Amino acid sequence: MSKTQSPHASTTDKAPRVRFAMVLDLSRCVGCHSCSVACKSENEVPLGKFRSWVKVIEKGRYPDVSRQFLPALCNNCDNPICNRNCPVRATYRRPDGIVQVNQHRCIGCMYCMASCPYDVRYINPLRKIIQKCFFCDHRVDHGLAPACVETCLGRARIFGDINDPDSEIAQTLATNPVTTLKPGLGTEPHVFYIAADYDAMDPTSGVDVNHIHFEHPF
Amino acid sequence: MDQNFVTVLYNSPHQIPLGKLLAQYFYLTGLSAGSFVVSVIAILGGKTEYKPLGKIGAVVAPLCLVLAPMNLLTEMAQPLRAWHLMTYVPGYINLKSPITYGVALLTAYPISAIIYAFFVYTGNMKMSKIFAIIGIPLAISVHGYTGFILALGKGRALWNTALMPTLFIVSAMVSGIALMMLIAIILNVFFSKDKSQEAITADRELIYGLGKFLGGVIVFDLFLILNAVLVLLTSSKEAWHVAELLLWGRFAVDFIGIELILGSLVPLFIVFYPKTARNLKALSFASILVMVGIYAMRYSVVIGGQSVPLH
Repeated sequence: MSKTQSPHASTTDKAPRVRFAMVLDLSRCVGCHSCSVACKSENEVPLGKFRSWVKVIEKGRYPDVSRQFLPALCNNCDNPICNRNCPVRATYRRPDGIVQVNQHRCIGCMYCMASCPYDVRYINPLRKIIQKCFFCDHRVDHGLAPACVETCLGRARIFGDINDPDSEIAQTLATNPVTTLKPGLGTEPHVFYIAADYDAMDPTSGVDVNHIHFEHPF
Repeated sequence: MDQNFVTVLYNSPHQIPLGKLLAQYFYLTGLSAGSFVVSVIAILGGKTEYKPLGKIGAVVAPLCLVLAPMNLLTEMAQPLRAWHLMTYVPGYINLKSPITYGVALLTAYPISAIIYAFFVYTGNMKMSKIFAIIGIPLAISVHGYTGFILALGKGRALWNTALMPTLFIVSAMVSGIALMMLIAIILNVFFSKDKSQEAITADRELIYGLGKFLGGVIVFDLFLILNAVLVLLTSSKEAWHVAELLLWGRFAVDFIGIELILGSLVPLFIVFYPKTARNLKALSFASILVMVGIYAMRYSVVIGGQSVPLH
């Protein structure tokens, strides 16, 4: 088996091209939320909105209890439903796999928000357009890692090109059991999780759907 | 795992992007499409006693559809960029999105409906039949596409079913017939002083017939709702949570109380029970109940469908 064959890299074309992805190794996550803070300051994310956040749950009954974390961000899917549904092509997929939003084209119809299965998009209440995580493409284009990866103190986040066999992410994907959020939807997310908790990944676990707080988008 | 085992300590807020205005938009297009279809059935039916219905529908259909897109514009975050939807340039417009074909339909349908109304009122039967035939597919697809908007919302268990477009078209028919019936009753009771007694009686017979037609479409609508609910109860976990919300949770008052009991079962009883089926007061009460019920249906589908957390 060749070194390039990670679970998802095997489906790419003959000529390998750059495909950025992220691995979140939750056995190394301490739940410090510094990724959320770094993202907010890097991307000027408004109050109450998040591009990258860490869901925290507690499970079990005393004395058998644990606290589990689930850092969440845009999955930059290979088959993004937001792209398919955007009427004006404001959201598009870059050749390197990053799903980007054209801020001058977006009409704010919020259809992409409504159809995203991961609820990672938000309306910027100041600029009235859709925004979301795009792997800090302004940093990536200059050869830097995204802000959350740079700041993660436990090195729980690994970012890179999964089609480059020498990259850390390709080797991590090849040698670890990984999963994604909602793999059954066929969106092919490119944010992979190692040692993610079942209940943290389940959106309705521990939630009373009858008393959930609603928030208007803008 | 047992619900009590898990406590969510922190998560980002749950957002509901599409709000009440979108439900109202679906409701108005539904009214428009439904009344247009009834009007066309009356015009193409050929019998002269159906003609009053054709005239009512021809006015109601474009009126509702002029109001409907206003809701969309106010719901958008960037209403002044709405022209981006009409730049039909390859690469700038996404032909796979239901909103794109919705924009084309929302432009074409009112124009054809207004031309149709013009020919209906000037009494040009040949031209009004031609525009009726052009308008029928437009009317059905202008409401069918709203079903596709929801059906292609992949993340939401309530929306992402193949049943959604059909359910929307049938409920549009229900609300359209109810509106036509209400207007026909109002015209019959208050605005028929210069008509002969025979004409008034003929109009009443027409209203009673419309009531029976309404009952039949409500039965079909209830059958589709039964299908949707049964599948929700046996499908994925999110689907089960949506069913919980609709059947005994937060939206039970809207769905079971207003939509099913007040908006479907009570009117069904009124239009089929012999004593009330030929009573104009009871029939107008039934048509108001049906319209309120369909509004509750739009509300519970749009808001209820987004009420299950996704992250």
